[in-house]
Amino acid sequence: MANKFLKKETIGKLIDALTSEGSIFVAPKMDARQVVYAPVSRMEEIVFDYIVPRNPFKEFLFPQTEPIAVFTIAKEAVDMKGVEVNAKETVIFGSRPCDAASVASLRSVFNWDLKDEFYNRREDKAVVMSVACTKADDACFCTTVNLAPDSPAGSDILLKETESGDYVVEVITDKGKKFAERFGNIFEDVSAKKAKPAADVKRIKGIDEKKIKEWLKDTKNYENPLWAELSRKCIGCGACTFACPTCHCFDIVDEGSAFEGERIKNWDACQFEFFTLHTSGHNPRDTQYKRWRNRFMCKFNFYPNKFKSYGCVGCGRCIRVCPVRLDITEVMATISVME
Amino acid sequence: MNDNMENTLRQKAKELLEKGDVKVVIGYGWNKKKSHTAPVFITKPEDVEKLVFNPLCVNNLSLYLTKKFPDIKALGKPAIVAKGCDIKTIAVLISESQIKREDIVIIGMTCNGVVYRQELWKGELKPEIMPTKCHNCDVRNPHIADIIVGEKVNFTPPAEPTGMVFDKIKELDKKSGAERWNFWLEHFSRCIKCYACRQICPLCYCERCIAEKNMPQWIETSSHPRGNLAWNLKRAMDLSGRCTFCGECERVCPVNIPLNLVNQKLALVVKDAFGHKAGYDEKVHPPMIVFNMEDTEDFIK
Repeated sequence: MANKFLKKETIGKLIDALTSEGSIFVAPKMDARQVVYAPVSRMEEIVFDYIVPRNPFKEFLFPQTEPIAVFTIAKEAVDMKGVEVNAKETVIFGSRPCDAASVASLRSVFNWDLKDEFYNRREDKAVVMSVACTKADDACFCTTVNLAPDSPAGSDILLKETESGDYVVEVITDKGKKFAERFGNIFEDVSAKKAKPAADVKRIKGIDEKKIKEWLKDTKNYENPLWAELSRKCIGCGACTFACPTCHCFDIVDEGSAFEGERIKNWDACQFEFFTLHTSGHNPRDTQYKRWRNRFMCKFNFYPNKFKSYGCVGCGRCIRVCPVRLDITEVMATISVME
Repeated sequence: MNDNMENTLRQKAKELLEKGDVKVVIGYGWNKKKSHTAPVFITKPEDVEKLVFNPLCVNNLSLYLTKKFPDIKALGKPAIVAKGCDIKTIAVLISESQIKREDIVIIGMTCNGVVYRQELWKGELKPEIMPTKCHNCDVRNPHIADIIVGEKVNFTPPAEPTGMVFDKIKELDKKSGAERWNFWLEHFSRCIKCYACRQICPLCYCERCIAEKNMPQWIETSSHPRGNLAWNLKRAMDLSGRCTFCGECERVCPVNIPLNLVNQKLALVVKDAFGHKAGYDEKVHPPMIVFNMEDTEDFIK
């Protein structure tokens, strides 16, 4: 599809047009000294100079806390009603290509056996407008997992910044095409502009995803003492999982009084001690290294064996946020050279 | 200074491991890129070269002495590399019978301060990148230790606590109850319930946290305003009179909740009410966990 052009100064008009129709415009903005993906109502709120926002934008497709049913309990009857998802159109402006690639990962898992309506209705109404990265930090590793700072995977529209701060627009999907046509007065047909080069994210030497997958697949490595050694410092918090754009596990809880309440779906983390605790009292992942092994296995073994999408998109959030700097790329490098 | 300190540290660690006095040395080491330090567990004398000590050594390693880490306990008797502030937490752990003094070897490091966050480090330790705790530190020379590494540090902390955390507390104290309530509601609204604050805290060592008790569900697990408020208030109350201001909870909070404010406010309240400051004497129990027949209140008698 032919390239278009988006002037930075017209983004305000796009926000106005969308929000006046009741749509949500999500963009990077400052909150508590951090850049986060959050709904904005004015262009002035948008931060244009950032590397990767603190949060992945999965919360707009798969909210951290979401009521899925309401119930009342009477003397001899329980009345339960499902909650209908009324998804609003959500435009995610300034998504990074790594985060955009994670949408397919979430889609795979939420449509694998059951079709999760809560997720699907939101994703159907989401338009991902990524901005290719021109800067990276030392936690970024998209190229190591075969993505790139300007990769189009998962974006409906990919924007590439020009020297003037405007954007060369690449329309990637039909959804993106319809969106650009709908706002034809904003997405101009000039395509002769040149974009700035993408960030130079070096592939980490010594990491071989194929070898990692092979080693992980071999069940005799499951009890290798290496796991306990590599994850000994892990404190078992959920920072990495909640910061991860592809982590998708959730828990269902009931909240309310003895007579009425809500059934709620909450993000959960495989790093938590009670994540796998059985009613019997047995816990198959009873120590932290088993929980940490599970997360790594999920990204680089279970996921790639089951789905075509990415288990890890290399955004680096888990490295940045880890209280003890447990660096997933260091583990990838170690396992890459295991026999 | 650091080269010398590191050499001495490695030498001492090597001796301890070679003699079999300890089975593991819990210390700091570089990550691969040498941009950050992280906890390391040295079990072989030949690996002591991995130990480092510098202003990036922010973690409070006393965490790893608690029962939260059965795998580390299983390694055998530990030696721990600890700054004065970390030793304060060790003192509370001893006073609360979580560890026995004789079961650990404390390698106390003299300290000129650390960075608030490792990302702030540009090769020089300037006052503006140091956390409030360092500006008020009265344990730059470790107060409880088996081995002290480093030259004596001459530093007199200000008579009254100063710095950003205490300035903000004063500012908050001036506000009305409603304003303070809104201040905290707003900050807690960002909470994502990752429990990094609890997991990094050496004094959060409950075998089953109340947040995980679900019959009944005392603390709602949802990260809605009610659940977030309940969680954060509960943790703050549990730490009153115990928190030693290591600042780890605030450092690791992925969403920048100013947890030092609430914890240090409570520490000031306990100091005013009971004259107690946590972490100076391992033989003194925190006031909230002791019962005296001489207590003036009679509601419990």
